[in-house]
Amino acid sequence: MNDRQPPGDDDRESVPLLLSRPSHPLPLEPKRAARPAGAPKDVAPALSGVDWANPGAITLRLGKAGLLLAALLVLLAIFADIVASDLPVACKIHGTVFVLPNVTRPATLDAMDRRELAAQADWTIRPMVAHGPRLGPGEERRALLPPGALPGHPLGTDREGRDVFARAVHGTRSYLVFALGAVLASLALGAFFGSIAGLFGGAADAVVSRIVESVSAFPPLVLVLGIQAAVPRATLLTLFLAIALTRWPEVARLVRGQVILATTREYVLAARALGASPLRVLRRHIMPNVRAPLVVTAAAGVSAVVLTEASLDFLRVGTPAGAASWGETMSEFRDAPSAWWLLAFPGILLVLTIVAYNLMGEAIRSVLDPRSR
Amino acid sequence: MLAFALRRAIWAIPTLFGVSLVVFLLTTLLPDPEAEANAPSGDVAARVRLDELRRARFLDLPRLVNLSPRDVRTTVDECVAHIVANDADASFCETRIARIGGAALPHLLPRLDDVPPATRGRIALALAPVARRMGIGDADDLSHPDRAALFWTRFWEDRSVDFTEPAIRRSVKRITARDSDLLEQEIRLVDTFALREVMTAMKTAQDPAVLARLTRLAARVTGRDAPVRTADTDKTPDDSTRPLASSRILEPTADHAQVRAVVSEWLSWWYVHETDYVVLQGGEKVTASVAQTRYAKWVLGAVTGQLGLSTRDSLPIFDKLVARAPVTLGMAMLAFLLSALVGVPIGVVAAWRRGHAIDHGTAWAILLVYCVPTFLVAELLALFGHASGVGFALPVLALSTVSLSVVTQQQRASMIEALEQDYVRSARAKGARTLRVAVVHALRNALVPTVTIAGVQFPALVGGAFVVEEVFEIRGIGWETLRAIESHDAAWIVAVTLLCAIVTTACLVASDIAYGLLDPRVRETQARRHVS
Repeated sequence: MNDRQPPGDDDRESVPLLLSRPSHPLPLEPKRAARPAGAPKDVAPALSGVDWANPGAITLRLGKAGLLLAALLVLLAIFADIVASDLPVACKIHGTVFVLPNVTRPATLDAMDRRELAAQADWTIRPMVAHGPRLGPGEERRALLPPGALPGHPLGTDREGRDVFARAVHGTRSYLVFALGAVLASLALGAFFGSIAGLFGGAADAVVSRIVESVSAFPPLVLVLGIQAAVPRATLLTLFLAIALTRWPEVARLVRGQVILATTREYVLAARALGASPLRVLRRHIMPNVRAPLVVTAAAGVSAVVLTEASLDFLRVGTPAGAASWGETMSEFRDAPSAWWLLAFPGILLVLTIVAYNLMGEAIRSVLDPRSR
Repeated sequence: MLAFALRRAIWAIPTLFGVSLVVFLLTTLLPDPEAEANAPSGDVAARVRLDELRRARFLDLPRLVNLSPRDVRTTVDECVAHIVANDADASFCETRIARIGGAALPHLLPRLDDVPPATRGRIALALAPVARRMGIGDADDLSHPDRAALFWTRFWEDRSVDFTEPAIRRSVKRITARDSDLLEQEIRLVDTFALREVMTAMKTAQDPAVLARLTRLAARVTGRDAPVRTADTDKTPDDSTRPLASSRILEPTADHAQVRAVVSEWLSWWYVHETDYVVLQGGEKVTASVAQTRYAKWVLGAVTGQLGLSTRDSLPIFDKLVARAPVTLGMAMLAFLLSALVGVPIGVVAAWRRGHAIDHGTAWAILLVYCVPTFLVAELLALFGHASGVGFALPVLALSTVSLSVVTQQQRASMIEALEQDYVRSARAKGARTLRVAVVHALRNALVPTVTIAGVQFPALVGGAFVVEEVFEIRGIGWETLRAIESHDAAWIVAVTLLCAIVTTACLVASDIAYGLLDPRVRETQARRHVS
């Protein structure tokens, strides 16, 4: 059934509004030219509206660059312990060989004075930077060293003597994990409520739409601030929930619109007429349409969540103190305005992350929506 | 057109209702003081203080529906029952009756003969502070159970005529007209029974001298004339941060700010405690089942500006909002104007020169500007000077970068689309000048989608202003909110969240209406959708 020719884009005119807001707020799109005759007929329904003849070469190339950048950041996050850690990558001490103690953190080594460890070990393979995001036992506390002042601290130290490079690298990990988690949670929530609203319509639609409108009436940063301030004890979990809460309405709105759009297609009608259950219709015929726009939202969502978390950390209301975080390092700059390296290096990583995900999202969007080119 | 605008505005009502529910849920997240305090149950003073803390947030009321709303009569009944049963709550109930005072007497004194003698004496003793407030009876009488009971029975025989609404209304009316010790004495004799009228008068009175008399009376009868030493002031260590509202009695020479602070303090107190002093009659009982709930109290309070007092500096939240919000909203407005004034021309030029170097150049610049977070921009700009030195220029610039890039991008896209339209081609074919085609034919239509973006961008700017204010140390709502988070000032945080949501909703409505104004097709589709 999927290889059926989907109807023309004229259908879009009859689509109900995606509530009263965002990217295509009102059905004002001009009628598009019919698909060129040479377009392949067997493309998946999701991409059938794409004009492959002119895919916006620059945007696509930038999108690939963004993908590469994002992949590099993910690698940095995964191998953060190899890149910067206070424990060696491998070492032999008192006849015992430890492999990757910086990941496994065996208690005997973890409690050891770092200088003693270096002196007593038979051999060690050291990570790129021999400092972790926190000061290990026995590490010297040298606050606010500028970059290059000491070979061990390539990017200097912060106000508590912690290595800026190590904190930035480990911050990549905590931020990416957090952002991916929050985006996935909001996708799940949004897809669930959005498809309920789109499929059942009527009262369910009205209720979900009102909830979506109400939640998205709050500026995200303000709502997250409010929740973090209102809960008895602000933790990473409450922050996670708060951010997922502010992000899901966007997803729900999108999914609802796409589901309603898809249900007007003839192949869905046909599937229904053939007696397919609503769940099967949703899974086989509607969800493939929704997947692609969801990817765009997810990519934009990651950069938005990273930005929100960094802003909150910068305002010192985000993650509990001590966790490696770009925003926290940058907020120290406010108290030490001459220590430019506190702002520069986490800032560069933050901007790179946002750039990477925005470029990716933009490229996917341009493939899906020829107008934005 | 007006009908369209009205209809769009009415659609916002369910949203606002939802917003209020969300913020209400936020308030339920706040910790309940009862959970924190673990004072021994025998400590009556601690219990009273805790009770007050909970009542200030309406935690004593059910959330959404109140099946048995309380008034002074039910409260007195309950208290008498506790005292008769002589259970754990008995001593708390005694203080409670004494606090209610005169308003409780019409429900209490006629029943004195019906209760067992021991209880009668106990109640009569508990009422001693009331007599002291009224300035009647002597200490010997009031400290002996039997004589106190006799005293109060006599009192009721003599004075019950005074405890009627019309009589009180007349007295309060007269005392607002002129100062008279005699009248004041008369009102003090009915104690809190007069509170409802006094509060009504306080709402309408303007003259500081009249308000001084009314606040003096109210403070006297409620026992709130002692220097402020409630639980929330114990928390703030330095009293120097609380310039106003430390006294609940106005001086006749008070200036406008003092009058407002004191009166709003009284009104919010009355808002919380009204049901202690009045009897609900007939229809009031029905409305009370909805109105006497946590949600309704909170919403009505928010609508009428009764947002409570800030626990940080004891100022009315509403006044603080009025003072701080213009800074933040003004900054956001300026940043928005800046991004529109700069972004629209850049977008138009980029679209006109599509594919040329200038288009690519702006595309790169916009990408860069869009991806640098507001706080980073602000921090970099702050290196050049703080708000004190350069005024609003740098903060506004820092705030506007993100919305500038969004506006430019949107303007470029819609302009490109407009330039491809047939009417543009025919205008050029007819020989219209380039500038005329661009501005009159294309731009007019291309501006429409940008207006919608505007409605979404303004709230984002308000959020961004929080960060910018912190960096530049501008005393707007954002700066104040971060201080409030440090000091756990829940009332302020709730109020700010609500304000931001209302501003956002208003922006959406406004941009939708503007959209309809600019484009008749929108009006038609929306009207059609509404009918179908």
